[in-house]
Parts: sequence; structure tokens; C-alpha cells
Amino acid sequence: MYLTKDQEKMLSGEYGWAAAKALELIVRVGGAMGAEELVEVKHAHVSGVSYTNVGDHGLEFLSDFYAKGGRARVYTTINPGCVDYSGLSNIIDNDFAARQMLVDNILQSMGFKPVHTCIPHYHRPPLENEHLAWGESSAVIYANSVFGARTNREGGPVALSASITGYTYKAGLHIESNRVARVKVEVPAISRGVPPGALGLWIGDHIREIPYITGVKNLDVSGVKSLLASMAASGNHALAVLNGITPRNTYRVEIEDKVVVEDKALEEYLGDDISSGDRVLGYVGCPHLHPVELLKVVELLRKYGPPRKGKLMITVPREYAITFQSILYELRVRGVDVAVGTCPIVSRLKEKFDVVLTNSGKALFYMKKIHGVKARIVGVEEVVKCVCRGFKS
Amino acid sequence: MCVGGLRAKLRPVIPGVCKGELLIVDRYISFFGEVDPVTGCLKNTTDLCVGGKVLVFRGSRGSTVAPYILYALRKNSKAPTCMLVKEVEPMLVAGCVLGEIPLYVVLNYHEVVEACRNMCAEVEGDELRVHKCT
Repeated sequence: MYLTKDQEKMLSGEYGWAAAKALELIVRVGGAMGAEELVEVKHAHVSGVSYTNVGDHGLEFLSDFYAKGGRARVYTTINPGCVDYSGLSNIIDNDFAARQMLVDNILQSMGFKPVHTCIPHYHRPPLENEHLAWGESSAVIYANSVFGARTNREGGPVALSASITGYTYKAGLHIESNRVARVKVEVPAISRGVPPGALGLWIGDHIREIPYITGVKNLDVSGVKSLLASMAASGNHALAVLNGITPRNTYRVEIEDKVVVEDKALEEYLGDDISSGDRVLGYVGCPHLHPVELLKVVELLRKYGPPRKGKLMITVPREYAITFQSILYELRVRGVDVAVGTCPIVSRLKEKFDVVLTNSGKALFYMKKIHGVKARIVGVEEVVKCVCRGFKS
Repeated sequence: MCVGGLRAKLRPVIPGVCKGELLIVDRYISFFGEVDPVTGCLKNTTDLCVGGKVLVFRGSRGSTVAPYILYALRKNSKAPTCMLVKEVEPMLVAGCVLGEIPLYVVLNYHEVVEACRNMCAEVEGDELRVHKCT
């Protein structure tokens, strides 16, 4: 791999142990991926922040980099932690607060912005064709597909290394000729109201190439987020070309195959049935709610609330605790459990539920595996309506 | 039947020592959520444990926390000896670098999966030699 003189100095340790180790990781991963050079990144987003996800070994890894001089060289944001930073949620278990604080202190001291969110584009929307090094699978696919930026699915440690060095390897989606959609996916079901999260899970399971998806240009922010995050959970997609949404000069289309996704194919991806007597958790906010979605939830609560037939939880970026303080207050008054800077996928829960009702395919994918609960995907309005008025009303 | 003698072509991604009993899990795996980093077993199973095995699977999917899980598997002495996959993505490569796990792409993946259950294997250069376990 070609390295500039500056990069060679970094690799040889002239900028300290942490920068050398970080660059070594990037060079080794890049070498295995066929990269011939490195590329400067404008924004790193670090995943692997929740203590319950990374554990003590992850904490040691981070601690080592910090103690030996690892500091951010580029703008860097971080993923959610395992605790509710408002301290007001009755559902998220804050038992690991002390360990999470250790992780957070390290990351903040390294110069990372403690946004604790999986939607870093809320803080800094990337530019078209801008090179990024993002972890967090749902954010990666959103950056590539909606903003036309360029990032691979960096594992947490590579995103961390990119922050410390300012570089990542130039391979995969950093190269224009790799951003080619080869499978056309037509989805008439979406216009008939099938939740996009179910479609995303189906695509993740069945399509390996970069898809060119038609029939989704009228989806709102919530629908696009849910579709993309689900694909990145059940599959390994980092880019989907969404007709009418993905910026035109950021991809090529060379269709070799076409798939029409019928309603029936999506049925099994809607999840489990709800039985009477089930303890229901309505959940919206995976990925974290965009402000537009937050306002939509408020509207729905005014229309259907308060939640009497189950609990309703939303999860939002840490910064909303200040920026949208009055809105979060209203939601709490209306009986909503608002968790800040976290989500149930990266945390433990204090309360037991039988079923999670959510708009998110990603939440369905992980909640079943991590918390062993049943899960069902419906639209955002149905989530709120069901926990407020009952499943059959 | 894969009764000794089957040879599969490999593309080394992270070369290294790769020898032992095959564990074939013919699907994509999200290491976060689907593999317990303490036991090394696939969630809700007791017989599908990756520790010390030549893990054969389609590739990784899901969360970008996976490298930390592979790192934890190594620290807990539950990492696979090596991995043989159908396809690689950057996140899996990073996890294998961090967890010091050799990684190879099997060019005739399906042939190996269909014929080589309950067998042992050894990598030599860019070739996989499958044989009965002794």
C-alpha cells in the first residue's frame, strides 16, 4: 500500500503509540480489502460505546488507546451508551452507570463529541461524496444512501482508529466504481402501507448486491430510516440506491437482475402475533428519532394518548434533553417513557415485556435475540394507537 | 460424500494457521446478538460453539460492534481457530485483525458446506484440505 511520508512517520511511531497502532489496524484491514492508499476522512462516528455491548475487554481496549495518547484528529461523534442519560426512564436499567461512565470519560477525553446517538447526521449532515469513517450500521447506510457520502461499514475499532489518525483505507464504497447498483427491487407493497422495516429485513435476507429500489420516493424520514436500518441489520448492506432520494452523482446503475417483492413475501417479516394478556411495550426510536418524527409522536399522543394498554417508550439523541426539553416534558406528562442517549438494543431493561410493538425492523431483529421477547412491526401511528387504545380498537 | 481428499481453493484475507474440526453454520452471522462472547456459543444453543473450531459460514451481517465481540472471544479463549467464509466485508476483516483470527474466502463454498460436515480440515497456502477427524 502506498503511504505518504507523513503516514509513514505515523506508522513508525513518530506521532506516538496510539496513532501508530491505529494506523496499523487501518493499513492491515485496508490491505486485506485491496486498498492501494489511504483517504482523509472528515467525520468519524464511533460505535461500540455501550458498556453492555463491549464489556470489560472493550473498556480495556479503549482505555489503552486513551492512556497511550489516542486523541481525535477529526470531528468525531459516538454511538448510544447503555444508560438513560436523563435518569428519568423507568424501563432502561441504569445498573451499569458506573462502568458506562468510565467508557464515556475515556471517549470524551479523547476529544470525541458525546452525542450518544445512532443518527450522527443530525449533528453534522455529510456532504455528497465526502469521505467518512462511520461505525453504526444504520448510520452508514443512511450516509451513503440519503446523503451520497462515502463510508464503509467500519467496525467500531476502525472508526476509532480513523478518528485518531484522520485516515481510513481507500476501498469499498470510497471508490466510485464500487458504488454500482445491480439488482432492481420493485416494491408495490410499500404504497399499500406495508411497514418499510419489514421490506428492509426481507432485502437484507435475500439480496447480496447493492439494490436499486423503486417505489419508495414518497416515504417520509421515518420510513427511509426504518427501511435502511433493517437492511443493515438482517444483511450487510452499506448502500441502497433509493430512486428519487439518493443523490444522482453518487452511484451508477447497471441492472443485471430484477426482483418484485410481493406482499406475501413480507408477511413473515412482520413478526409475531400479539396475544391477549401480553405485556406490550410500544417502541419508537430505532434509529433515534429525528426531530420531525419526535413532533409526529407528540401529535399522535395528543390524538390517542395516554398509553393505557401498554407502555410506550421513545429513544432520542442525548442533545434533545436540552434542545427539545419542553417537548420531552410534554411527552413524559402524557405517560411516555423517554430514554435519552440510549436504546433498548444496547442496554438492559428493568421491566419484563412479552412483546414489543415497533415500527423498526432493526429493533425487531435485535430485541428478539437480545431480550428474548416477541416483536411485531407496524406503522408509527399504529404503535401509539395500540398502546393507547388497545390492539383491536 | 466428503471422505477425505476434498480440496477447496481459498483466497487468503488474513493468512495464518488454520487447522482443526470444521463447524459449519451455513448462514450469515451477526456476532453482536447472535454469539455469546463469554461462552463462544451461538445464542440459544449449546452445541454450536465457535471456540477452537474452523468456523465455516457465509459472512457477517448486522451490528458494527462485531469486532469487539471477536476481540472478547479471543480474550476469553473462545475464538475460532480460523474462519472460512463465502464473502467478506470490512467489519469482519477488522474483527479478525483485532481478534487475531485467520480469515479465508472459500471459492467453492457450497461444495464444502454440502459435503464436509463432521470433518476436519487444514489450510496449506491457498488450499483447504479436508479429512476425517482423528
